[in-house]
Amino acid sequence: MAAYALRRLVALVPLVFGVTAITFALLVLAPGDPVTFLIPPEQRGAADLAAMRHELGLDRPLPLQYVSMMRDLVTGRLRSFGDRRPTLARVGEALPVTLILTAASMALTVTLAIPIALVAALRPYSVLDHGATLFSLLGISLPSFWFGLGLIYVFTAQLAWLPASGIRPTGAAGYNPSLIAPYLIMPTIVQALSILPVMVRYARSSLLDQLAQEYVRVARSKGLLERTILFKHIARNALLPVVTITALLVPFLLSGSVVVETTFALPGLGQLAVNAALARDYPIVLTTTAIAGVLVVAGNLAADIGYFYLDPRIRDG
Amino acid sequence: MDSRAPSVPERGPRPGRRGPGHRFARNPRALAGAALLVMFFGIALAAPRLAPYPADAPHLLATLHPPDRAYLLGTDNLGRDILSRILAASRVTLAIGILSMLVSLVAGILVGAVAGYAGGQIDAALMRLTDVVLAVPVFFLTVAFLALFGPSIPGLIGIIGLTAWPPTARLVRAEVLALRHRDFVSAATAVGASGGRIVVRHLLPNVVAVIAISATLRVGLAILTEAGLSFLGLGVQPPAPSWGNIIADGRAYLGIAWWVSCFPGLCIFLAVMAFNLVGDGLRDAFDPRLVV
Repeated sequence: MAAYALRRLVALVPLVFGVTAITFALLVLAPGDPVTFLIPPEQRGAADLAAMRHELGLDRPLPLQYVSMMRDLVTGRLRSFGDRRPTLARVGEALPVTLILTAASMALTVTLAIPIALVAALRPYSVLDHGATLFSLLGISLPSFWFGLGLIYVFTAQLAWLPASGIRPTGAAGYNPSLIAPYLIMPTIVQALSILPVMVRYARSSLLDQLAQEYVRVARSKGLLERTILFKHIARNALLPVVTITALLVPFLLSGSVVVETTFALPGLGQLAVNAALARDYPIVLTTTAIAGVLVVAGNLAADIGYFYLDPRIRDG
Repeated sequence: MDSRAPSVPERGPRPGRRGPGHRFARNPRALAGAALLVMFFGIALAAPRLAPYPADAPHLLATLHPPDRAYLLGTDNLGRDILSRILAASRVTLAIGILSMLVSLVAGILVGAVAGYAGGQIDAALMRLTDVVLAVPVFFLTVAFLALFGPSIPGLIGIIGLTAWPPTARLVRAEVLALRHRDFVSAATAVGASGGRIVVRHLLPNVVAVIAISATLRVGLAILTEAGLSFLGLGVQPPAPSWGNIIADGRAYLGIAWWVSCFPGLCIFLAVMAFNLVGDGLRDAFDPRLVV
């Protein structure tokens, strides 16, 4: 297993390399000179621009720029064009927000999806199953930012129960759960609802597959309690595809975080990436894209490790 | 040899059963979706006639006017009529949704058909590319692209289309793989048909159902993506209206004028649902086992 995990980590290198290379190509092909975003118009003499360009290394050949930026990124020396702080520090401030939101939405989704899928799969084509299907359809058709604004309208504008923006009260620091929880409730619900339909659909069809297996008939003919069959025999098998889909949904959640973080003004990775792209802050854009790639691979790896522990056929085989 | 060599339909109507059209027509949810779609396309076509006011005419004496007889859906902070803006935006939104679906369809069919038919290393390389595009949080790249190159409607169509093709490519590849060793393909090869001709004339016609289902669902997704980008300010640029940017306009006035953001969002929701209902209905009518 350790060797396998290591191989997967090595496979990370070409992925991150590819994604950052594409991003870098976009950056240099795009119109607009990053230097003009950094110097106020009245100081933009040709000499000033050239000096700034030299200082940022933008006067060097493009392949060299990419290689040196990537080297600095890995060693932590890469600095933002804007405030000149290390990009890893900037990402380090934004990442926890996105990670906490992603983890909370995953947890909420799994908690809701499994009971819904169970009810739907145990009585296929019943009123409850059709209800679950309809609910899924509503979920995938709902624009997340509009749903988020709806929540803000009800719970902030009308009821004044929950804060609508930010991650913590002004003046507070860190991620004290009791302080940040009220700020996370609405974004978490929005993110969870966007992936819940996919999760329910997978879990339901996976449960239906298992219910039709021979071993279930054997267990029933032995006279085992239906509850025992469900929780001891079926659940473990049916959970495997759910674990896979959880990992596959990580990129989806990260993409969604861009919109959700904007809706709720959360200072996370998505916001950082959008603002950096708008300001032509090449180092921050490269770092956020690289981190997003790493997170996706980490999600896949986590799923594989989960598989390993859930499925004795892989663990002992 | 007759140039119109008949190809064997893969899924003809089973004996004793009615065809897919009949199954679709008996499915109330699919019909509801189809009715909604007809309504949206009708609205988009007739938008200039239906709109009570010009979409971008400000009316400074009626800003943030609540819905009433004069302004059925209210006005925004510049006094522009929300209904007229929603109507004008329906054209933009549907056009972007459909055109970007076409881009992703062409890319997906090309990659899927070539990978499935060529096999071997070409297949492996193309599928690896597909996996990478699926694994990357493409929305980051989309946002970066639009922020860097400046938002434009052709840019939106291109980037939404070019990031959405992998599922279509996988579907087409799977179908082509399943078909390429069938007798009618061997027959075509035996009479000297070229690879390109076999793919276009013999294989793709058998994949039409899968493509149609996938395409319908893609339009819904494309509309959601466009709306999200316009909400971020990276999609359709004001003063041109799109459902997403009207919602963004209303965001600052949410507490005092809920109608600005509410109604365009409802349109997105219903339009996306309509495409999903029709897509699901098509899938159930052709082959319920398909995972699209």
